[in-house]
Amino acid sequence: MKAIIANRLALVGAIITAIVLAGVIVGPWLSPYSPTDADFMALLDPPSGSHPFGTDSFGRDVLTRILYGARVSLTVSISGVLAGALIGTTAGLVAAYFGGWWQAILMRVSDLLFSFPSFVLALFLMVVLGFGVVNIAVAIALIYAPIFARLSRNMAVLVKDEPWVQAAALMGQSTWSIITREILPNIAAPVFVQVALAVAFGIVIEAGLSFLGLGVQPPNPSLGSIMADGREYFSRAPWVLTLSGVAISVALLGLNLLSDGVRDLMDPKLRARL
Amino acid sequence: MDEHKLSRRAALKIGAGAAALAGLPWMNSSAFAADELRAGIAGFNVINTLDPAKASLVPEFLVIYGAFNGLLKFNEKMEIVPDLAESYTVVDPTTTEFKLRKGVKFHDGGEMTAEDVKFSIERLMDEKFASPNRGKVTAISAVTVVDPYTVRITTKAPYAPLLNYLTNTRTGTQIVSRKAVEAAGAEGFGRKPVGTGAFMVKDWKSNESVDMVAFDGYFGGKPAIRSVKIPIIAEESSGMTAILGNQIDLTSTAPFADVPGLEKRTAEVTVLKQPGLNTRYFALNVKKAPFDDVHFRRAVSMAFDRNVLVKAAIFGEGVAIPGVLPPSLWPEGKGFTSEYTTFNPAKAKEEMAKSKYGAGTEATVIIWGSNWWRRTGEIMVGMVNQTLGTKFQLQAMEFNAAFAKAKAGDYDALVFGWLGLVDADEYLGEILGSKGFRNIQGYSSPKMDALLEKARSEMDPAKRRQVYREADMLAIEDMPVLPCFCSNVHNLVRPNVKGFSQLPYSNFADQFAKMTVG
Amino acid sequence: MARAISIGRVSSRLGGVALLALLGSATVFFVMRAGQGDPAIAVLGDQATPEAIAAFHKKWMLDDPLVIQFWRWLSSAVMGDFGLSMTVAGGTPIMGLIGSRLPNTLFIGAYALVIAVSVSLFAGTISALRHGKFTDTAATSIAVLGISMPDFWLSYVLVYGLALGLGVFPSYGFTPPAQSLTGALYSGFLPALAIAAPMAAAFTRILRTALLETLYRDHVRVARSLGYRDAFVFIHFVLRNALIPYVTVIGLQIRYLLGGTVVVERIFGIPGVGALMVDAAFGRDYPLVQACALTFLLSVLLVNFVVDLICAALNPRQN
Repeated sequence: MKAIIANRLALVGAIITAIVLAGVIVGPWLSPYSPTDADFMALLDPPSGSHPFGTDSFGRDVLTRILYGARVSLTVSISGVLAGALIGTTAGLVAAYFGGWWQAILMRVSDLLFSFPSFVLALFLMVVLGFGVVNIAVAIALIYAPIFARLSRNMAVLVKDEPWVQAAALMGQSTWSIITREILPNIAAPVFVQVALAVAFGIVIEAGLSFLGLGVQPPNPSLGSIMADGREYFSRAPWVLTLSGVAISVALLGLNLLSDGVRDLMDPKLRARL
Repeated sequence: MDEHKLSRRAALKIGAGAAALAGLPWMNSSAFAADELRAGIAGFNVINTLDPAKASLVPEFLVIYGAFNGLLKFNEKMEIVPDLAESYTVVDPTTTEFKLRKGVKFHDGGEMTAEDVKFSIERLMDEKFASPNRGKVTAISAVTVVDPYTVRITTKAPYAPLLNYLTNTRTGTQIVSRKAVEAAGAEGFGRKPVGTGAFMVKDWKSNESVDMVAFDGYFGGKPAIRSVKIPIIAEESSGMTAILGNQIDLTSTAPFADVPGLEKRTAEVTVLKQPGLNTRYFALNVKKAPFDDVHFRRAVSMAFDRNVLVKAAIFGEGVAIPGVLPPSLWPEGKGFTSEYTTFNPAKAKEEMAKSKYGAGTEATVIIWGSNWWRRTGEIMVGMVNQTLGTKFQLQAMEFNAAFAKAKAGDYDALVFGWLGLVDADEYLGEILGSKGFRNIQGYSSPKMDALLEKARSEMDPAKRRQVYREADMLAIEDMPVLPCFCSNVHNLVRPNVKGFSQLPYSNFADQFAKMTVG
Repeated sequence: MARAISIGRVSSRLGGVALLALLGSATVFFVMRAGQGDPAIAVLGDQATPEAIAAFHKKWMLDDPLVIQFWRWLSSAVMGDFGLSMTVAGGTPIMGLIGSRLPNTLFIGAYALVIAVSVSLFAGTISALRHGKFTDTAATSIAVLGISMPDFWLSYVLVYGLALGLGVFPSYGFTPPAQSLTGALYSGFLPALAIAAPMAAAFTRILRTALLETLYRDHVRVARSLGYRDAFVFIHFVLRNALIPYVTVIGLQIRYLLGGTVVVERIFGIPGVGALMVDAAFGRDYPLVQACALTFLLSVLLVNFVVDLICAALNPRQN
């Protein structure tokens, strides 16, 4: 019963995510419009047959902008999260396996990053580093690295003492091969779920930063920068903010349902240990 | 709970609903007192000092206007009229004598005399004090007290901008109480200003709000409004939602995009607007490729349409301008056209052919600030690339970083602008003069400097304007900046608030004295 | 009930907090200084003449070596003196600035937390008890929708829908709780809701799963078969166990919650530490950024500490 519900939700999530991904990957090719070239004859046209989502203050097709923008947002979020996962998981594994000073230092750094409110950390980094996609990805990576570090360390500490890992060590397997062959596969699943969740939050962070004008460089769109634009002339062209907002919600919905469903299918206890 | 339901139903009934909020408990009664004004400063977030000599940011002056007076001020026709001075006479080309109003009281009760005038201006002149407004008074050689109500200002040479620089605008020459400054110290005075204005600063929560109360000793009579709450609203759009929701009565700005929509909502809000005293342009670094070539600069200038900027960046809330000066400073208000600042793709390409650079030339245009302001850069870059086949790129930064780069000369092109300046010398002299501190372009032309010098010492206003016209034309020839447009100034006022006269330099608190809240 | 937490444990924990605060301050300090920008420009704006900039630098001793500046900051900070604001509130003591804003931020944060917790306790319990039925599906779906509304987006929906559309809540402004508690509850509702919605959704999901997991455990079945009333069993055996992961997740979400206040304070004009930090960062008000960052850091650490205490109290067997 429970598995079916979880499955059903996961299925819906997977379908939405697949549609979003397909739109993001294929959509821009299908669109006859450019996401960046202005058309000053078609400023702020309401939704119509030729522009299903209307046009923005540059006369650009909003649907095309959203598809490209989602691509930018997703890329930034995914690369940031993957970088965070890589750094964090490595740090967590090293801390768990070697313990002692390694653990003390790595986990202290991780605690430090973890103690800053996420958006405060992101905003601070943007002001200091300057705007742009790479810096957003760096901010996302730094926000998520400590989560992956904690998760992987806590999991690895448990796995490390399992008899088969002990046996592998006794049989003379190298540290590297023990970490990659014995420990990593056993913590891969929860890390994956965390990645899916983090990608959703990464999109929110990118959008929030772009919304405050700190994000992606124009003329390239991102979901947040389209929303920021749309908010400015909301009273005149409500479709820009509304439709880009709906787009971001749909993308988040898909990712959340998917990660939720997958998580429900796995050992629920892992959350408690997070 | 009942109260809540009631309000809600009433709200729905009258449609706007904001008025119904009056009955709700969170609104303390004073918020709806008929003699309190809630005047929001929108689109800015920091007021750092209220000492006119130290102030530099627009929101600081918006408050200072109400707490202080200058010797002179602008009337509704933008003519210079006496304020703390009763009259003034030009004794000789370098000396002006001011007769002061008698019996003018400072907020602390002390009388304003010639000593205070001398003190205020000499304080500004003091090199060690390093006032950001010092440039306005460097031409002054002496301030002499003739008697307690007469003061003479002597300049090193005939100095035409002097009277403009003594008005209650973004000049810093507002008269402060010598006694209060000496008692409070420079830092303390900035927090607890003592002026002669109709309103006194009562409470001030940094980057949050300023509270003012009426000063009954004001020389213009008791103000009808007894107190003013001035919230500092970071987002311009929040200022608009605040006035629509009846959380404030007056705003200092309005979002360009919302103006047409707001103009239709006459029951809730009145939109005041007029062409402002401001200029928006792209500064070009003439010391660096590719903008070191005058032909290339002209080509770029002809490659984008300023009318499109006005239409798409500021939603028609302004006018395209051919030169650096805003229209209200043009001779007899008449404009001119120049082929170098008119969109003409064919001529632009021709002009580029004369330059060292061609299609594919790269440059980075720095943009900053609010959305519409960035959009100006986005449109310019898009059109220029399309017309000339150049490869210009945009770089968005925040103001602080962008301005630091500009100051260091570490940029190619940068969207820029000044607002609230009242004298032509502040525009042309400071932006294009080789020593002008707003000159971030590295532009230096002996011919321009000679013209500017001539204009500064030309005491006949009509002739002076003609010299500035010449300077503006020369600026277009040399094109160190790409002039773009002059935007409208806006205030939003709730219908029950009367008596606010808008002036093109973005005035604000100076109007509180004659306003009423119905 | 709650097991006494040994003094040694608490003091070692406090030592850790102090160490983190020191590390955090140093990081913020040096990263901020390595970045671009200049506080003098923030104060002088478009009137920044070179002389005025130099005078500003001299006044705030910004030309001294960084290490000396940090030492100066640290030695007075240890004594509880965080110095004066440079650019946001020129020359006013930072302690006063933070002191007057922190209650607002904590109020909005706590308000959001209360909304999120009460909604999730209700929705999570209902959907676990009715699990698989329509109510469950509805609650779960709403929860997922909630998590898909980022706070800044939800804020605008609320401002245009509830505040301006229906006129039931103020579209801007905040009455501080110190001035009027009802006023704060009323004017803080929309901002708190904007932050709470995604949190409530996350909490509901975790509570539902945790409850489902415990509902079918052996000791619960045994308790039921012994004839205890359902409500008794639910509260003493099920809820109590499920609360541990629930409270842990709340602790983890605190940094998102406090992060959310930054955006929402700006949109609704709430004078809080988040909005202050945004202004300070843009204005390069170095000492103020330091102090705000430290405030947030300590708040997160404190909340995590409290969460640990609650978990320890809920589950005496651990430790």
